[in-house]
Amino acid sequence: MNRALPLVILAMTILAFATMLLVVVPRAQIGSEPPAAGLRAYSPEELRGRAQYMSLGCVYCHSQQPRTPDQAPDGERGWGRPSVAADYAYDSPHLMGTMRTGPDLLNVGARLPSTAWHLTHLYRPRAIAPWSIMPSYPFLFEIKDHAAPGDTVVWLPREQRVAGKVVVARPEAMALVAYLLSLDRTYPAPASAIRDDGYSRVGGKP
Amino acid sequence: MSEHPLADEAFEPYEPRRPVPLPVYWMAIALALWGAVTLWNDSTAQSSGVGQRLAEAGDMTRRHSAAGADLFAQRCATCHQADGAGVAGAVPPLQGSRFLGANPQLVVQILLHGINGPIAVGGDRFDGHMPAFGSVLDDGQIARLVTHLRATWGNGGEVDAAFVKAQRQATRERHASWNGGADLVSLDPAVGPQPAFLSAPPAPSDSVAMALARGGKAGGWACAACHGAAGEGRSGVPRLAGLPADYIAQALLAFSTGTRASDIMGPIARQLDGPERVGLGRLYATMASASRARPELDGDLARGATLALQGDDRRDVPSCFSCHGPSGFGVAPIVPAIAAQQPAYTAGRLAALGRHGKDDAGAAVMPSVAARLSDADRRAVADYLATLPPSPAIDTDTKDAR
Amino acid sequence: MLTIGLFLAISFLVSLAGLTALIWAVSTDQFSFGQKQARIIFIEGEEGHLDDPTAGGGSRDLERASIDRTTAWPVSLFLGAAVVWLVIGSFFGLIASLKLHLPDWLDENAVLTFGRMRTLHLTMVIYGWLSLGGIGTATWITPRIFHSPLRSPRFATWGAIIWNAGLIAGCVAIATGWTDGEEWLEIPWQIDGLLALGGGLAVVPVLRTAFGRSVDHIYVSGWYFLAALCWFPALFIIANIPGLFVGAEQATVNWWFAHNVLGLWLTPLGLGAAYYFIPKIIGKPVYSYSLSLIGFWALALFYSQVGIHHLIGGPVPTWVVTLSVVQSVMMVVPVLAVAINQHVVVARNLWAFRASLPLRFISLGAMMYTLASVEGSLEALRSINTVTHFTQFTIAHAHLGAYGFASFILFGSIYYMMPRITGRAWPWPGLITVHFWSVLAGFAVYFVALTIGGWLQGEAMLDAGRPFAQSVILLKPYLEARSIGGAVMTLGHILLAVNVAGILARSAADARKGETA
Repeated sequence: MNRALPLVILAMTILAFATMLLVVVPRAQIGSEPPAAGLRAYSPEELRGRAQYMSLGCVYCHSQQPRTPDQAPDGERGWGRPSVAADYAYDSPHLMGTMRTGPDLLNVGARLPSTAWHLTHLYRPRAIAPWSIMPSYPFLFEIKDHAAPGDTVVWLPREQRVAGKVVVARPEAMALVAYLLSLDRTYPAPASAIRDDGYSRVGGKP
Repeated sequence: MSEHPLADEAFEPYEPRRPVPLPVYWMAIALALWGAVTLWNDSTAQSSGVGQRLAEAGDMTRRHSAAGADLFAQRCATCHQADGAGVAGAVPPLQGSRFLGANPQLVVQILLHGINGPIAVGGDRFDGHMPAFGSVLDDGQIARLVTHLRATWGNGGEVDAAFVKAQRQATRERHASWNGGADLVSLDPAVGPQPAFLSAPPAPSDSVAMALARGGKAGGWACAACHGAAGEGRSGVPRLAGLPADYIAQALLAFSTGTRASDIMGPIARQLDGPERVGLGRLYATMASASRARPELDGDLARGATLALQGDDRRDVPSCFSCHGPSGFGVAPIVPAIAAQQPAYTAGRLAALGRHGKDDAGAAVMPSVAARLSDADRRAVADYLATLPPSPAIDTDTKDAR
Repeated sequence: MLTIGLFLAISFLVSLAGLTALIWAVSTDQFSFGQKQARIIFIEGEEGHLDDPTAGGGSRDLERASIDRTTAWPVSLFLGAAVVWLVIGSFFGLIASLKLHLPDWLDENAVLTFGRMRTLHLTMVIYGWLSLGGIGTATWITPRIFHSPLRSPRFATWGAIIWNAGLIAGCVAIATGWTDGEEWLEIPWQIDGLLALGGGLAVVPVLRTAFGRSVDHIYVSGWYFLAALCWFPALFIIANIPGLFVGAEQATVNWWFAHNVLGLWLTPLGLGAAYYFIPKIIGKPVYSYSLSLIGFWALALFYSQVGIHHLIGGPVPTWVVTLSVVQSVMMVVPVLAVAINQHVVVARNLWAFRASLPLRFISLGAMMYTLASVEGSLEALRSINTVTHFTQFTIAHAHLGAYGFASFILFGSIYYMMPRITGRAWPWPGLITVHFWSVLAGFAVYFVALTIGGWLQGEAMLDAGRPFAQSVILLKPYLEARSIGGAVMTLGHILLAVNVAGILARSAADARKGETA
């Protein structure tokens, strides 16, 4: 332990070993799977919405990785079947997230397919769920006297409306909602698909 | 700084080299053992996980490729009986039925769309519903089932999937069941004289409710945006079509008062008044639409079938159908249909009911049953119900009986 | 599957074989490693005396003074910038924390939305406060343990300037919504080049000093620093290469990187500093110097493979998750080695713990390292992870590591180093005590609240019968407590900044006086 060069070389070798195990081999294994049948690539509008999702930091409160029924009741909450690696083939960067301050969103397009609902929710989350701690995103909307043709007006509960004004969604909001509605992995996953099966010891059967 | 070079030597509380403390060895050995066991366990867990999924996929394939006789046992024998004798006065017999002897097109059409109305079979008159299997059986399954039926009770002859596909295509615009024998005789006169279908007064075309369902109230969220144009629901969103009218109206009221908690339905229901709730209830109760539900919770379908049809005495769980009606079509006015319901909704609702002790009408029956279901049972029964044909639209008789 | 299983078995066996060889070598004294080498940090006559510049104790001698002169300017730059980032980063953290229970506050502009406040907080405290502070500390300690002046100090200065420029650009990018979108890697890759360049430059002086040192032995702090300074650039560059990975593959890279930032960057920097300052301040060598070898190499072997425990239950291969789970638990071995070494020497010299504030910060930091590591090992177990994953429990744990451990050690190190660097005493020594108690109390509130809240949140989410809303509602009081704790911590940071600004100002005034005289 008195020579710097061997120390540095050994330390880097250990890191290279770990990198091979944690990065290179999984990449080869996951990369060998084709995109899931039923998964489609994002449209340009959805990709613009995805950029909004990243830029506003939605990923810090919403995961996109439902777990197996052996581990957690994600399916019973309507969050969808357990996701597999092939479900993310078009996700760059990945937005799996590590927090569930809000619910999982991988299948939000399936369980909440209404554009109007999402617009209201983004504009004023607490108009829908008083307990919600989601930020509101008023800057994705415009308040106008009259809606112009082609404008999408945001519906608000009676008591939340401002007399004589309408709330109109900006293109950013429409793109974000388009992305949210595209989140729908309800097609069946291939049985051999890659995911963490570490909880299936007990099995899902009674 | 130190003036005395030996002062350091005086300060030497330790021996020059200190051995590695024993706990470090123990710990290292114990952890290494634990690690080896965990690695082993998890590698078996992985194969069992993949095995489980493969088995489920196999189940599905088997269900899809089940032989006609098995399909008959699963889907028909409950009502028509295993020997095809039917139930006097309630379910028409298959033995010697002219319907099976007729053109295979007729049987296929009955299976695709079901029957709703009086029908004469073998000189006896029956008046009831036959569910539509078009949305829960695929072309190959229907073909094998029909082939089996005709080979057993009809005059033989094989029907293939292409034929069923063509039949499905020919009547794809049809959303309601066949109106009893009167409709069927027009398909194939060989079935003999049939009772007339007394066309019920057309359901009050509630244009207000229809506008609400399609456009929302005052530009608000439309029911159809999530529940589908025909109230068929989608993954995670419940099916509404064919639920009893009063049940829907009552649920909307419960959402608006908060008795039934839902962040999504709450704000919507609070915008509705009494007549609107009733109108929407009637609208969805009279809607007939194909099933869009598919098993999606990894539930054990055989177990689900047992729970739905027989219940589980050991757990003191009654059969679902003992209250929700044969085939799970619901019992007006307030027992909801559960057949063809979206599984995530069914399982989630069971979990919530089981925890709260009372449902939104204040009754404790369903909650106490739900509380006795395990997580796996909830998923099993929810997935099983998703494989059933949807309830037919509620007819005017039921409505008048309210 | 056979090949994958084989991989898994091999990787575990390799790690075990490495550990076994190491323990054997240490037990049989293959490296002739003893307490004699552990004393290399002392110069003659220092041993046995408390060395605490904040209390006016300790020694200054000519050799050290000439070494410290070579590091003074770059290290002041690193530490000064680190403290600025700490204060700004704390404010962003506090705003993010408040927004979680006051969601309608400051919502008119996208720049102020929670997602960006939180990310700015993380970026500033990790890449600003902890990284710059850690590099500064390493740059200051390395020449001292090698008894040689710092070579090419200008590289360090330029490194600090370029790193800071890159970080400022990165923060502006994040605030305006330009982000790479992956946790811990938000700074756009176009800007990452600046950080890589700055980091690369900052490493040069330390490496050159190591290779040109005038003593034979490399003290344990040196191993940690040398390894960390080589590991981090490699990690940072690989993880930021754009377009190399997509989807689930990218998730494994993401967490391989993010956890290694903690394990192979902040941890060795913090432990290296603790290994130097604890014995140095107390005036007695660590408990068992040969044990520190096990601590170091076992850390390298095990910590480098733990990252995927962030994806337990996720869409990545089972074997890679399991590997990370097992290696996370194996981390107990190096942690135990470090704990015995550092805690025993402090426990036998509690008088020093009471007397010296820098020691109190550093030793508490070392204890929280032990706690954080043990908690981390438990948290990686599948049964516990099912509850804690996706909850605030993880946030509490991350802060136990990055704050309780790394930041506490850095606080103590700064209080020790700055008087040596500037040749001045701390202008307001009383504030140090206030700083100590405020961050300790604030952090206790922070950690306890989020740990309990996070656990309850996780249990609520696992119960299908409780609506998701309950997990949010029950969390609110704990989030409020976190804001209170965080505010008190921020107050402590301001006191640190005031003292650092004061001591730098006085030293600058001294320098001007020297020039005019």
